[in-house]
Amino acid sequence: MATIPLDIDSFIGAALAPILGVVAFWFLQLCFIELQKRMLSKLRHRHEAFCRFTNFIGILFQTICHALGYAVTRSGIAAFQITVNYGKVEPKKEKTGVFEWISRSFLLFGPFFIPAGLVLLFSYVVIGNGFVFSPSAQYTFVGSLTGFGGSLFTFTNAFVRFLATIDLFNPLHVGFLFVILFFGLGIRPSYIVEGRKEKIDMIYDLKHIKSHLVQKPLYIFAIIGIIYVFYLLSLFVNPQLYLAVFSVLGLISLTAVIALLLTYLVIILIRATDEIHAHWKVVPFITLIGSYVLARVFFIYYPMKQVETVSLLVMIGSTVIITILLIKYKRTNRFKTATKMKHVRVADGKKSTSKKRTD
Amino acid sequence: MEKKVLLKNEQIERLLSPHPLSFMKLQALSIFVIVWGIVVWWLTKFSAYTNIFAGNIWYPLILWGLVLLLVGVVASLVAIQWSIFFLYLGVFAGGIGLIFWQHWENDISLFLLVYSIAVSIGGFLIVELYRRSHKYIITNLRIIFKGGVLTKRERTVRYDKIADIDAKQGILGQIFGFGTIIPVSQSGFGLGSDKSFAAGGVEVGTKRARFFGFAGGGKELQTPIARSYYELHGVYPYKDVKQLVEDVVQSHVPTQYHKEQIEFQKQQVDIQKQMRDLLHKQVRGKPRRKTVKQTREEEDPEDKEEIEEEEETSMNAAPDKEEAFPPEQVDIQQQMKELLKKQKTVRIAEPKIEEIDEEDESQGDEKEIA
Repeated sequence: MATIPLDIDSFIGAALAPILGVVAFWFLQLCFIELQKRMLSKLRHRHEAFCRFTNFIGILFQTICHALGYAVTRSGIAAFQITVNYGKVEPKKEKTGVFEWISRSFLLFGPFFIPAGLVLLFSYVVIGNGFVFSPSAQYTFVGSLTGFGGSLFTFTNAFVRFLATIDLFNPLHVGFLFVILFFGLGIRPSYIVEGRKEKIDMIYDLKHIKSHLVQKPLYIFAIIGIIYVFYLLSLFVNPQLYLAVFSVLGLISLTAVIALLLTYLVIILIRATDEIHAHWKVVPFITLIGSYVLARVFFIYYPMKQVETVSLLVMIGSTVIITILLIKYKRTNRFKTATKMKHVRVADGKKSTSKKRTD
Repeated sequence: MEKKVLLKNEQIERLLSPHPLSFMKLQALSIFVIVWGIVVWWLTKFSAYTNIFAGNIWYPLILWGLVLLLVGVVASLVAIQWSIFFLYLGVFAGGIGLIFWQHWENDISLFLLVYSIAVSIGGFLIVELYRRSHKYIITNLRIIFKGGVLTKRERTVRYDKIADIDAKQGILGQIFGFGTIIPVSQSGFGLGSDKSFAAGGVEVGTKRARFFGFAGGGKELQTPIARSYYELHGVYPYKDVKQLVEDVVQSHVPTQYHKEQIEFQKQQVDIQKQMRDLLHKQVRGKPRRKTVKQTREEEDPEDKEEIEEEEETSMNAAPDKEEAFPPEQVDIQQQMKELLKKQKTVRIAEPKIEEIDEEDESQGDEKEIA
């Protein structure tokens, strides 16, 4: 065990680095969630059921997190209800003070970390060797940050390698893909009050979190104190422990980001098929599955290396080409008007909404 | 075609059929068969456990059949429907039969994959056929339910006979906007009971002493439950249909004002009957044979003639008897006066303007809540 130098960098900087890393990745996750929300909002008018489904997953996780908060604080759960529009959890005992604050923290932060944490647990089954925690070389801010980044890099490397070689003939891999897509569509905090609100964006979530944190500054100081005590203890017992705990939180955010990125592909495919004529819409989806199956069957008779990766590339490539060709030659009918809508809108002075001309 | 079943003055409000995803529970049975067939094929051909299955050609069939039947038992217990188990048993037996008949023992895993896919496709088609056999007609007078592939079933519920409306929407229904509406009739049609029973036994001991333990439990619960052809199963758009059904049922429910009006009319008819009897008594000295004109019309034409003659004679004879004023006639006149007084005092309770406003408001509130 290396000797610990007695300086500020070792006792403050090294403790701060992984926290900043987690916050940075969480913010990255928040940005990706925001992007997904915007992509979904553009789909809503055509794919109401799909959006309702994603909303349901989000509410499901949020409600579970809320219930978990009440369970942890031993408030008990009197009522638990989940619908597509809202979730409701009522405690048996209305606790105040720190318990109320903790249960509310679960409600606000849980949707970011708990579903993604479950995906991370599942990913251990398929990519077990990717969970390597890099020890920090030095007890400094930079050293801790490098250790934190190293752990995340190893995991990302393993995860991406797994995705590149995913075997879609393996039920376990297919199951994992479904799970990651399922969770990816729901890794987001939802608006859970019954009333309807038009815009729920990143700022809305951040405002809630800020008000929650500012409400009880003493608790924040207490948490910082506990974290610091944990750092000091781990510094003398096992310096890697502190880094590992925060690395796990970073891995959760990273898993969420990867899941969100995969869901973008699904959303983009759905949006692209909207441009295609009704009868031809299913062709890209058939190509997606059919091309992979054909490629795998082909490689059974003509074996070669990296069969899974090549099959995946064939699948993605053929789907993209077919979709582009269909968009070009089988485009859906457009709304035709005698005059261009743009001119009408400009003439009305309302650029945002289209209006039928009465003259 | 639906116009043939309509009554006089009946109009179709809505023609419905179940949503394609509303029979997902039945389709899930086929989905499981197809998924399990693929998994068994993968396990025997491509997984790390290929060596285990290479030991005996019957292993894939045993695994496939055991899991299929186990899932069948669990699903039957959960859904309280033993037909699921027998369905899976049939699939299993069919598979074994085909293997022995066609001698496909050499590549059982591939056979199981193809067989599972074929059975599942068949299952999907049957469920779709069953779904398409359903037809619900909501008219202004009643709801007509039709269904059944081989045996055609039909149910008609008049709105005034509907005592209760049960509505349910699952998660899939909430996402895709469909749901089930069960109109429970006054006779209790539409109510059923869920009954489940689970039991287990264990035998402990050797030749000398044997103990047999048995444990079980049952539960019966009265719930709104009906076959899919006796309810509005998985109708889309759920909210609109529910609103429509509730509106038409509500329009067939008599309000307080209607009830009071009926009561008033009954009292008036009673008084008039009594007065008619008294008049008849006054004229003839005995009560009329038939008081209600309607019933008189149903009698034979000969009797009618007799009655008309009697009436004519009584009309002619009346002035002579009035002149005498015997004590009986005085009594009758007294009773007549009392009845007239009663008729004047009984007044229809006309609804106050405030009450009408309140009713309107309450109806408006209900709509807003809905």
